[in-house]
Amino acid sequence: MDNILERLTTCIERGKINKAFPFPAEMKGGDGAEELCIMALAQGIPPEEILNKAMIPGMSRIGEKYSQGKVFVPEMLISAKAMSAAMKHLKPFFTSGAIKRRGVFVIGTVLGDLHDIGKNIVAMSVEGAGWEIVDLGVDVGSEKFMEAIAQHPECVVGMSALLSTTMVNMETIVRNIKTKYPDKTILVGGAPLSADFCSHIGASFYSPNPQGAVEFLNKIINPEIL
Amino acid sequence: MLLKVIPMNSLERYMSVVKSGTPDIVPRIPIVMQYAAEYIGSNYGAFASDYKALVEANCRCAKDFGFDQLSAISDPYRETEGFGGKVRYVTDGVPRCTNPMETTKDMAVLLSPNPQVSTRMLDRINAIREYKKLCGEEYSIMGWVEGPAAEAADLRGVMNFLMDTIEDTDFVCRLMDRCVDVGVEFAAAQIDAGADTIGIGDAIASQLSPQFYESFIQPREHTLVKSIQEMGAIVRLHICGNITHLLPGIAGLGVDILDVDHMVDMVRVRRVVGNNVVISGNIDPVAGVRNGTASSIWEYVKKTYVSVGNPYMVNAGCEIPAKTPEENLKALCTPIPFIKA
Repeated sequence: MDNILERLTTCIERGKINKAFPFPAEMKGGDGAEELCIMALAQGIPPEEILNKAMIPGMSRIGEKYSQGKVFVPEMLISAKAMSAAMKHLKPFFTSGAIKRRGVFVIGTVLGDLHDIGKNIVAMSVEGAGWEIVDLGVDVGSEKFMEAIAQHPECVVGMSALLSTTMVNMETIVRNIKTKYPDKTILVGGAPLSADFCSHIGASFYSPNPQGAVEFLNKIINPEIL
Repeated sequence: MLLKVIPMNSLERYMSVVKSGTPDIVPRIPIVMQYAAEYIGSNYGAFASDYKALVEANCRCAKDFGFDQLSAISDPYRETEGFGGKVRYVTDGVPRCTNPMETTKDMAVLLSPNPQVSTRMLDRINAIREYKKLCGEEYSIMGWVEGPAAEAADLRGVMNFLMDTIEDTDFVCRLMDRCVDVGVEFAAAQIDAGADTIGIGDAIASQLSPQFYESFIQPREHTLVKSIQEMGAIVRLHICGNITHLLPGIAGLGVDILDVDHMVDMVRVRRVVGNNVVISGNIDPVAGVRNGTASSIWEYVKKTYVSVGNPYMVNAGCEIPAKTPEENLKALCTPIPFIKA
């Protein structure tokens, strides 16, 4: 049992999506995250255990490497895709309640900004940590964020911007959200941002990488962590 | 030591630094787009779609704030439109553009961009002609092309491109080769129209590993750089974001001017690229310029110049954001005496 979970973790960490996927070269032809997740379920391993003991650690490992500058966006992306390939087989268990979501994470790239790569990687990483994702897409203004918050009152909000010219729109959106929902937790991220900027606009947390966002969210739901 | 020098116009000042001479003051080369459009009471949509608005906006900013270079940059989709992308202009934002190869790796779907025919490429050439006619002897004129990685990402979509870098390197290389060919042709047309400098934007490169960059992107950027220089123009490379991990590769490109974003250590850049490359930057465009004060900006720029040393040009880490207070942009461009080492 441990072996299959460890293999699943490795597949996610290395970005081995499924058997047909030829990357990484040294794992070519072997089972990928998708097959291993199916096998783990077939062996009767509880879905929550698959999530907590294999998938979350896989994303955590690659996230740490990214934070340390040991891997870059394509490697993160491919790992997130491997995680998604496995996650699709756990979806029914979320729906049935066999696995409980850790929370709802509403995420979007801010108004005027069409870059989705950072937002997508964070969304996939957070989903891999057991959260339900409400992806609002790109070029998202206050109104759309507010609508999503109204539909998911307990959610945590994430915002991304990749341009110095669009990150300033975060300030307006954060202000609008905080006016109506003063206690709403808002994470911000994107290449030109900084902790100072996060503080300046009144957001709750800035993370320079997806792993930091995941760790912050883990801390919210389980404050004794970290 | 401070030298008593004869006042120069912007073009003389800029060329002096590029050619390792002694300018009167340090040149100032900020990038303005939406800011410039709004400064003249226009908007980004007009700025990106009509060279007359772009030229008027840049000329007014250069005159009023003291820029030394007029730029033809507006957005990344000039070549992409030539390749077949469909562009939609937005009043207060970057134009939207489809990715012609979003669902296919068949390069046959691409059109053949012709700088003299493709609407948005020709619009940029017209901007340069207009600059040349209006003030070509007074200011440096910078044309712009997309770098091989940036243009390939625009054609495929960023997510697809990044996946391609892992899944299908041969395809990525062929696509980037095509982009370099078009970049060289577009640069040639802009130089013919009067550009003395060509900026190369290759932002997506900062998101890739140094191994991938040095193996596949840098050699193509190098081809583009050398081709432009052989046509007699200066090359200014702009890769937004953190390029620290790419610096050894960038050092081998032989660019004349390197823009550096705010998260990069300027002293380290100088150490890696050496003393023959003009370094420009790198005050944070938002926290430093937009949200700073005139005195904080001025102090930061002076401190940066001293730490980086010559050759250097004043610039923010990236584009000046809209709504930046005028006094802040004036502070950024306040003349700094050239310091002879």
